[in-house]
Amino acid sequence: MPRHASRRAILGGALTVSIAAALAGSALAQGAGDPIRKIVIITDTQGAMPQAYQAGQLIAQEWRKLGLDVEARPMARQAQTDLVWFNRDKWDTTMWRMVGRPERSDPDEMTFNLFHSSTAPRGFNFVGYNSPDYDKVAEQQRQTLDPTARQALIKQAQEIVNRDAPYAFLLHPNTLQAFNQNVFDPASIVVQKGVGIRNFWTFIGAAPKGAQKAMIINSGTALQAIHPLYIAGAPDSWMNELIWDRLVRIGPDGLPRPWAAESFKFVDDKTVDIVIRGDMKFHDGKPVTIDDVIFSYEAPLKTDKSPMFKPFVTDIDRIEKTGDRSLRMHLKRANAAFATTALGRVFIVPRHVWEPHLKSLEGKPDTLEAIRDPANVGSGPFKQVRARLNEEIVIERHAEHWAAPKVDRVVLRVIPNAEAVVGMLRSGEINLLSEYGGDPDVLDKLAKDNAAIKLTQVTDVGIEFLAFNNRRPPFDDVAFRNALSAAIDRNVIVQAAWNGYAVRSVSHVSPAIEFWHARDVKAPPTGLDVAKSILDKAGYKVEGGKLRYPAGKKEALQPPG
Amino acid sequence: MTDASQTRLARPGASRLWSAARSILRDPFAVAALAIYLALTLMAIFADELRTHDPTQILFRANGRVAANQPPGEAFLLGTTNLGRDIYSQLIAGSRNALMVGVTAAISVAAIGTLVGLLAGYFGGRVDAFLMRLADVALAIPFLPFVIVLSGFLRANTWNVVIAVALLLWPNTARVIRAQVLTLKGRAYVEAARVTGASDMRILFVHVAPNILPLTFLYGSVAIGWAILTEAAVSFVGFGDPSRISWGFMLQDAFVSQALSRGSWNWFLPPGLAIIAVVIAGFLLARGAEEVLFPKLRS
Amino acid sequence: MSYVLRRLAHSLFVLWAVVTILFLMFRLMPGNPLAAYINEQLNEEDQRQIMAQFGLDRPLYQQYAIYLWNLLQGNLGMSFFRREPVWDVIVSALPNTLILTTTGLLVAYLFGVLAGAWLATKRGTLAEGVIVPAALATRAAPEFWIGMILLTLFAFTLGWFPSGGANSAGAAYASEWDRIFSIDFARHLFLPALTLALYLQGLPLLLMRSTMLEILHDEFITMARIKGLSPWRITLRHAARNALLPVVTAFALGLGATLGGNVVVETVFSWPGLGRLLVGAVAQSDYPLAQGAFFLISLVLISLNLLVDLIYGWLDPRVSHD
Repeated sequence: MPRHASRRAILGGALTVSIAAALAGSALAQGAGDPIRKIVIITDTQGAMPQAYQAGQLIAQEWRKLGLDVEARPMARQAQTDLVWFNRDKWDTTMWRMVGRPERSDPDEMTFNLFHSSTAPRGFNFVGYNSPDYDKVAEQQRQTLDPTARQALIKQAQEIVNRDAPYAFLLHPNTLQAFNQNVFDPASIVVQKGVGIRNFWTFIGAAPKGAQKAMIINSGTALQAIHPLYIAGAPDSWMNELIWDRLVRIGPDGLPRPWAAESFKFVDDKTVDIVIRGDMKFHDGKPVTIDDVIFSYEAPLKTDKSPMFKPFVTDIDRIEKTGDRSLRMHLKRANAAFATTALGRVFIVPRHVWEPHLKSLEGKPDTLEAIRDPANVGSGPFKQVRARLNEEIVIERHAEHWAAPKVDRVVLRVIPNAEAVVGMLRSGEINLLSEYGGDPDVLDKLAKDNAAIKLTQVTDVGIEFLAFNNRRPPFDDVAFRNALSAAIDRNVIVQAAWNGYAVRSVSHVSPAIEFWHARDVKAPPTGLDVAKSILDKAGYKVEGGKLRYPAGKKEALQPPG
Repeated sequence: MTDASQTRLARPGASRLWSAARSILRDPFAVAALAIYLALTLMAIFADELRTHDPTQILFRANGRVAANQPPGEAFLLGTTNLGRDIYSQLIAGSRNALMVGVTAAISVAAIGTLVGLLAGYFGGRVDAFLMRLADVALAIPFLPFVIVLSGFLRANTWNVVIAVALLLWPNTARVIRAQVLTLKGRAYVEAARVTGASDMRILFVHVAPNILPLTFLYGSVAIGWAILTEAAVSFVGFGDPSRISWGFMLQDAFVSQALSRGSWNWFLPPGLAIIAVVIAGFLLARGAEEVLFPKLRS
Repeated sequence: MSYVLRRLAHSLFVLWAVVTILFLMFRLMPGNPLAAYINEQLNEEDQRQIMAQFGLDRPLYQQYAIYLWNLLQGNLGMSFFRREPVWDVIVSALPNTLILTTTGLLVAYLFGVLAGAWLATKRGTLAEGVIVPAALATRAAPEFWIGMILLTLFAFTLGWFPSGGANSAGAAYASEWDRIFSIDFARHLFLPALTLALYLQGLPLLLMRSTMLEILHDEFITMARIKGLSPWRITLRHAARNALLPVVTAFALGLGATLGGNVVVETVFSWPGLGRLLVGAVAQSDYPLAQGAFFLISLVLISLNLLVDLIYGWLDPRVSHD
């Protein structure tokens, strides 16, 4: 048992330290504070997210070995968010995740929103991490337009987070998807970094091989709204971005590229010149004009009738029409991620449909979000045929689009039963598996037994992590957080919870976005021995099998009820 | 059987109970039902001795890898789940939950239903009108949606199922017992008690109540089944108590982990069969007494 | 006539009570209704605005008054998440649920009545010893368990039926009627309806059997037997007709009860119906939608209870003195 031996060696070392401390005048009996209360790890339920549930159980098993009393407490999603998000000082630790989205290919959101102190009271920094050093770097990277300089700042941010351990980063899951290669030419299926094959480029590029010209995909949850000014669930957004075009789209490489804009150019830090394409038409046959584009940006900018899209345009000061196909945006402040977070988010909507609605709402509390355009007129490569939100959405190719898709239609089926999804993929009832929450091995076996099914796997932009509540002792102590993070055996979690379909995570920037991921930021050393020695150095002692605070520290808190 | 029980009901008190017990022992179906209950109780009591592993613990193989999807065998009697838990031990542990939920629900339904039925039937008038309105309201609330809403908004907890069963299923019991009390009220021995100056409470609980106890037991035993089935349905929809091993939890776990795609019938079948066994026991006891299933038809 | 009016008034009272319970249940539940709204877009001001938009910032009694007033006008409110009138959302799911429920019930009752009547004539035989426990067993099994087994056998393994949904992907129809009467729809309906029927057949079977047993002992049957009528004619002519009333009643009441309990079958077979809508709404804390779906199910339940009462009062004058 070499592992045992090494633990003893470290313990020996630790013992020397404590003897030294005792010699320095503090007797061992006084050398410890109160025993640490029971620690609760909130996890997802087994039914909702078996992987995270399993990970929580595994972490609890490790932490108990440190002398902590640990409860892994599964909670329904709703109850979990209610506690973690709206009662920020009432929990200890929780399993949590940031899911991968195309716009998260720019590291700004993960860097700024997750850890900047300004978002701690109500925003995404729900752990309450507060570091002036970090704030400075997070702000700077946003202002730095030069990619190389920004890359260095993003790396610095990763290093600080790594040192301070506001989270215990666990892993980036691998997204598993599949398609039927008898139906689609495999060469035409595009794998987008960090997102997988269910992406814009596959939808417009997939080439049918035979008579089946419809792409049939699946979603586990019902949709909420097909609406260009309303942000709902993930499957809603897959459909929205096919029906409405954007000035810029995120390419398969994760970088923004001009789309409805023929070009966009930063004249200086705060001025962007944009030229739009001249060959665009809405689904009702009317041309897309520069006025439509300006309207689309000014609706959230100048009115409060499109609140969900307002955050995307907050950097814009004003928009100036400079020609029949060109405009200039004047920004309030420089923003390195502007192309991704603003130009890549706002949908171009037909002014002739939405302006009358906007006028009719003047002086009323309602917003455009509650208004429906039953035809859902956009200018994207697909147009809506029908939308039965509980059942299926059918969109068909917009033949007059300059990048018209190769498939005739895309059908999104709502299938809550993961077992049925596999059956449907096998039988051809769906031909592109766009979302899969089930057991990876089942899918793997299906692909092995069935030559038509091709499995794809990409590392996600998203992260799975264990969040420490930085506000609550003992998690307000960097050493304690580091020790608990070190005690987690991530390899076991990758294997035993994610069946090996994940990569270990060292920071908030996924290796999926290669340019920003700092390859040389190494994970701090892990292992129970490491954890014990960190604790010991910081003054935490085990007495009677229970881990205690450093000398003089009282336990003032109760475990969450 | 209804005719027979009508005549037997005429006999007061303890002898009635005794004869009911004897008639149950003569019915092979009822004996089977009692045997199932006995097995369940023993399983729950000796769960810690019967199980081979901790049902929630993640098990590892000798090579250090998680013992996931192991087939049934010597090491794992019914195999393991895809996350490395012992299925047999979960099945055993689930019996505790089934017994607890079933018995509590049965007692609540039987107690509330009997009390309401006794009071309404005996006192009549306003008391009766009020209690029966209450019963109508309870019957107008859709059962499963009510449980789901309760479990969805309160913290997911097995007790919500029991609460919902108790709150909504008592009226069936109450109606039947009320009808029974109405017929008993006119019987000679009740009249006799009244003439000798016995108080209402005494008449109600000493003279009337023992005669309707068999019905109470019957309804209680059916409620055991409802509670267990409801718990399974609520688990399946995703509002089950996530920290408690129940048969419903096991089935839902097997379902979301795609036990069927993997052909793990050793995981999917046992909890289902266990549920069937316990629920059917209640039905067997109530066999023939169809008003137990549908009291309204007989009013 | 006064009986009808009394029953009607009574049903209205029950409806009011249920509506009030519903209101209190949704407003007094712990938890933040906006917990599902987590995203970078929503700050404190937005949250306050949403609460105001849905009237959640007013005192409880005002909310209650507004709620009742809206209900009287047939207004179920706006869904938090869909930003559509709740009524529209529910109506889109209602036909599928009604069809699944009635088909399942019809099959269950047709089978149950016939098998029950037949079993009554087989008292004490082996057939009874086998079929009664088998009928009880399907009744005692969790619905989704049976559903998953059927799905695995007939859809995944044998491929006879589709694996879920109400129609094939992208199937288009001229009208809702064309859709419902298409072969495609029937193929999709088969397994979920069968699951439901298996679950429901136990009650009519046992009910029919025991009612028949009782009636077969009645005097007029004995009379008929003395008159020399064949056993089949006795069964069909006299007994079955008399035994059907409780079964028909059970059917009507079962319709109301099943409507709300379909959620499990709907989930297994990806059937786009009311039950799943309700579960989704509860999971998201979409109060207006959950409340609306719940209200509609209750309304059907109460209406059917009323109908049964009226039928009974009409058929059996004694009931009205109750």
